[in-house]
Amino acid sequence: MDIKAYIALSLTLFTTGIIGVLVRRNAIIVFMCVELMLNAVNLLLVAFSKMHAVSPAAKASLTYASDAQIFVFFIMIVAAAEVSVGLAIIVMMYRNTHSIDVNFLNRLKN
Amino acid sequence: MDFFFLQVQAQNSAENYFPIVIQILFAIGLLTLMIFGSDLLGPKRKTADKLQNFESGIEIKGNARQPIAIKYFLVAILFVLFDVEVIFFYPYAINFRALKWEGFLAVVLFVSSFLAGFIYIFKKGALKWEE
Amino acid sequence: MNAIIFSAIWGVLMMFTGAFVQSKTLPKYLAITGAALLFLLNGIELYNGTPIFNINGMNMLAITSMNLTFLEVIFAATLLFFMLSGRDVERVGEHVSEYFALIFFVLCGVSLSSTYNTLLLLFLGIEIMSIPLYVLTGADKRNLKSNEASLKYFLMGAFSTGILLMGIAFIYGGNTNASFYIDQIHLGVGKMPVMITVGVVLLIIALSFKVSAAPFHFWTPDVYDGAPTVFTSFMSTIVKAAGFFAFIRLFKTSFGPVQGQWQNLIVFITVATMLIGNVTAVFQQSVKRMLAYSSIAQAGFMLLALFALNQTADDGIILYSAAYSLATIGIFAILIKMNDYTIEGFNGLAKQQPLLGLVATICLLSLTGIPLTAGFTSKFFMLTAAVENGHKFWVVIVAVIFAAISAYYYFRVIQAIYFKEPSSAEPVIDAERVSGSFKILLAITAILILILGIYPEILIGWAHH
Repeated sequence: MDIKAYIALSLTLFTTGIIGVLVRRNAIIVFMCVELMLNAVNLLLVAFSKMHAVSPAAKASLTYASDAQIFVFFIMIVAAAEVSVGLAIIVMMYRNTHSIDVNFLNRLKN
Repeated sequence: MDFFFLQVQAQNSAENYFPIVIQILFAIGLLTLMIFGSDLLGPKRKTADKLQNFESGIEIKGNARQPIAIKYFLVAILFVLFDVEVIFFYPYAINFRALKWEGFLAVVLFVSSFLAGFIYIFKKGALKWEE
Repeated sequence: MNAIIFSAIWGVLMMFTGAFVQSKTLPKYLAITGAALLFLLNGIELYNGTPIFNINGMNMLAITSMNLTFLEVIFAATLLFFMLSGRDVERVGEHVSEYFALIFFVLCGVSLSSTYNTLLLLFLGIEIMSIPLYVLTGADKRNLKSNEASLKYFLMGAFSTGILLMGIAFIYGGNTNASFYIDQIHLGVGKMPVMITVGVVLLIIALSFKVSAAPFHFWTPDVYDGAPTVFTSFMSTIVKAAGFFAFIRLFKTSFGPVQGQWQNLIVFITVATMLIGNVTAVFQQSVKRMLAYSSIAQAGFMLLALFALNQTADDGIILYSAAYSLATIGIFAILIKMNDYTIEGFNGLAKQQPLLGLVATICLLSLTGIPLTAGFTSKFFMLTAAVENGHKFWVVIVAVIFAAISAYYYFRVIQAIYFKEPSSAEPVIDAERVSGSFKILLAITAILILILGIYPEILIGWAHH
């Protein structure tokens, strides 16, 4: 399949994520949208690695096209670490305010 | 020494995916057969007791959507953290032989850092249920 | 290499101290020891050229004397921070050892992100640097402001990580060498390929988020204001400097040859950052919030290095990091002890605590960039670098004008310290919170600022070692 299809799909997911982050008010949904952005990147990286694996220039160079697939693993791990820290912060917030609405975050303005 | 996560084939054609298609078709077919088959062939007696949700023989206790104790969240968060790290074993398993003892040592180091984290949360009492 | 491994090990050690030892003061001394050892081990590597822990990194790390000198500055600043403010870390909450452990993990991320040679390590370094900071920002668990700052920082940080990764993915896709190594990015002939252009723009946006450059700075004042003041001191100096260093190294190594194609974007970001930082800082009443805006304004000056992208800029960024960190850590160390964080709170400080008043003045003068202080030499290096670049001379003039504006809000504090009477009867600083050793350390900070202001070659010499 043409690489353009993958780019289009991944950019659609990514943009959905960005719009979600900017529009939604629920902290957990905002967070899920961030995860959606990361997964769009994962998809794109895997697609690119496949694309590069068949290109002769990449084969000649020293590095390996599967680098990108390992990169995806690292993204997943970091995302998991972020999830655990983020959920802990959201739980802490909920215990204090009984709300996870990001609109609530205006106490610091002046 | 070439490390590959996936042994990528030079030319990928549609035929290579044929076995997978067969397997998917087989799985779907088997599922449909079993679900509808048992529905058609099995005996049916609809009483109030039978239509209740099954909760291991215990009496039903209200709605499931209730606030959950914070301890569950803690365990869930820790589970996510420890569960996903296992992902690094996949590339290691593929290149197990090629990486020799050096790779094994790296994995031992990796696992021992897990263990350190586990000892820490254990000592901190994050896994304690009763208080 | 030494620093990466040792800081991680020491972080784990501090973590276990928290779990097994019930002492309130031990963590502070352990942390000071750790920072001193980090400084020493990194210094040995800088001096000898060979690390103690020699691991085959597949060329993923670029250990050069410039990178190691930068790390040396970072570790020196951390050591100073621990010694000046260690007592205040103990006051944040009960998990003292864990706070220090998290700071060591941040240092591990800093070491990675200032020696990386692949985009993978850039990503990992920045993440290892950021994730502990989300926790530290929310360390004051019962304080709603701290909660809020933490959640905001976390959401913004995760969002910018997504953008950073998208940038990396596009650069990988457009790079015909199929490589993540930053020195093997093939930029094509003539104009850049579309995918690389998209990637560069996304990377600029994401890294501007991380270093809080306008127009992506909006989280900074809230987060710096809400976080416990000790940790604000840490993250507005050391972490920010590390972010800049990573930013500049990436763009110098990978996209330096095509600077003409993205320079305009950087010029826009630089001028906007200086404008917003300086102008908004003028209107602040709280010194803590004023310092948050001032950190944005100083970021504008550091961005000049990215605009210039030459040898002088490399020296300048190391010097600027040192000067800015020293002065900000010094002023924050005093601010933490104050009873009132507003500018009126500083009224009459010089009468009650002459030494503290003097050191605060020297720090503020250095931040303004008055000659004989480190702030002046570092600003001078930055402006020289920008002139040497030869393009868009007006940026230099704009920078000088904004430096003059910054004098207004820094001098307001100095005026309060020296020329105003205390607004209330109670003391500005409780005397028992100011120990003898604290005073000595503050004096050392001030002397270091003056030494760097007169002999900047000391630091620059190391970088060319």
